[in-house]
Amino acid sequence: MSETPLLEVKGLTKSFGGVQAVNGISFTLNKGDLLGIIGPNGSGKTTTVNLISGFVKATSGRVIFKGRDITNMPPYKIVRLGIARTFQMVKPFYQLPAFKNMIIPLYSPRVKALAGGKYGDRDAVALDLLEEVGFERDNQVAYKAASVLPQGYLKRLELAKAISLQPDIMILDELFSGLSLAEVASIVPIIEKLLLEGKTIIMIEHRLKELFRIASRVIVLNFGEKIADGVAKEVMESDEVKKAYLGSEE
Amino acid sequence: MLLGTIVYAIINSVILIMMSIGFNLTFGISGISNFAYGALYIFSAFSTYMLLQMVGLPYPVAALVSIVLTAAIGALMYRFILMRVRGQVLSEVIATFGIGLAILEFFRYLGFVGVEYALPVFIDDSFMIGEVYVDAQRLIIVASSVVLVGLLWLFVHYTSVGLAFRGIAQDERTALTFGMDSDWIATLSVSLGAALAAIAATVIIPLGTISVSQGYDVLINALAVSIIGGLGSTGGVIVASLVVGFAQRFTDTYIGSHWTMIVSLAAILLVLVIKPSGLYGKQKELEERI
Repeated sequence: MSETPLLEVKGLTKSFGGVQAVNGISFTLNKGDLLGIIGPNGSGKTTTVNLISGFVKATSGRVIFKGRDITNMPPYKIVRLGIARTFQMVKPFYQLPAFKNMIIPLYSPRVKALAGGKYGDRDAVALDLLEEVGFERDNQVAYKAASVLPQGYLKRLELAKAISLQPDIMILDELFSGLSLAEVASIVPIIEKLLLEGKTIIMIEHRLKELFRIASRVIVLNFGEKIADGVAKEVMESDEVKKAYLGSEE
Repeated sequence: MLLGTIVYAIINSVILIMMSIGFNLTFGISGISNFAYGALYIFSAFSTYMLLQMVGLPYPVAALVSIVLTAAIGALMYRFILMRVRGQVLSEVIATFGIGLAILEFFRYLGFVGVEYALPVFIDDSFMIGEVYVDAQRLIIVASSVVLVGLLWLFVHYTSVGLAFRGIAQDERTALTFGMDSDWIATLSVSLGAALAAIAATVIIPLGTISVSQGYDVLINALAVSIIGGLGSTGGVIVASLVVGFAQRFTDTYIGSHWTMIVSLAAILLVLVIKPSGLYGKQKELEERI
């Protein structure tokens, strides 16, 4: 018997005026998968995850999460149901120390509901979560204001905030962008650990080499349409994908 | 004379804090400039007056009911009008200013004009501070302001709704990703701002009478203090209130009362020229643009 998908996207379409940003995209996501969404700039990757997470309203199509239709639900309700996301451009609460940035998600309705109304010692939970994503305890970096943290730590902070919501699906929008090779190399094991714990993840990425190391499946978008879906190696051998990335030889 | 001027300058500053803190809080959280703020202040005062004089409720009950009523009007304003124009700054200003005009002029139309419209002082007594006589009502205003600012600080730092307020204030998109309903928080922010206008009216109005024109004065004071302090900054409101409060009182005493408004307006102009986002303003883009 086949597994019921955790997420089903059916014929999702979004038009901005005359521009078809996403055109009839469909795919499924099973529990424990890491789905990579790739494609050239402007191919509709971010719009697709905006549609799934409720930040943009769909023109047509459906998003089914755990058997429930969540199409066009407001973003806060989708988060409460269990889909958390990060953004390409990080926006921490700059004047707060890194660990205090965790307090707001740790006070969120979803965490409250999961904890049965009891929050516990949030500072301790925040520091543990930050350590999990690479804020070393001995250098006290978790106590520094977000405004002085380098991009690598800010991306880790984004990841920690998403983890703190204990989501069923985490959507990571270009988590690796703006990071050095060494920084990416240190974040990849964190993602691998999350997968080992059974987390389900969608990643939009331009850093394909690193993504292909961890993704169980990849879909490729071009001009708002899905042009390939499968394991990374097979997908990248598709002529259509090569054409989308490298251009036509004609 | 100097001690008296200082004491009354402090009281004047505290009155300005009370008059503007609600306006500033609403803007700080939801980005909405509630131009009906002065009208809500006057609505609360007339409502207390009517409940007290016409319905015959005890004073504390009448005041409390008025505060709740004003807060409810704030919430309804957001749900039925502001929610539809949210994010369109000019539309928000026009809508709230229109609501304010309607409320204030409706009271004028009904004939609520005259010295008989006043609220009694809480305690009819006065005290000596050094060699200066200060009436109990003014001391109550100072005490209420200290308690109110303290309670607001505790609220936004130690309650989940308060943290949600801060989350939305800093970045609505990020707050949404944590499952916060931004419309609900904005409703609360407009409602809480309206309640603070009502609380200010409850303690300040007994110093004089209730008049429709005061609604416009309160709005101008709230705008002046918020612009100087920096829209959305509570610390800024406190510092700006002290600057304007002292400037007004010292001008009044040593130069002449006809210069008081000019000094306040000059302070606004000076701050706008030197630091357009206000003393503690967070809208850096304003300065970057200029």
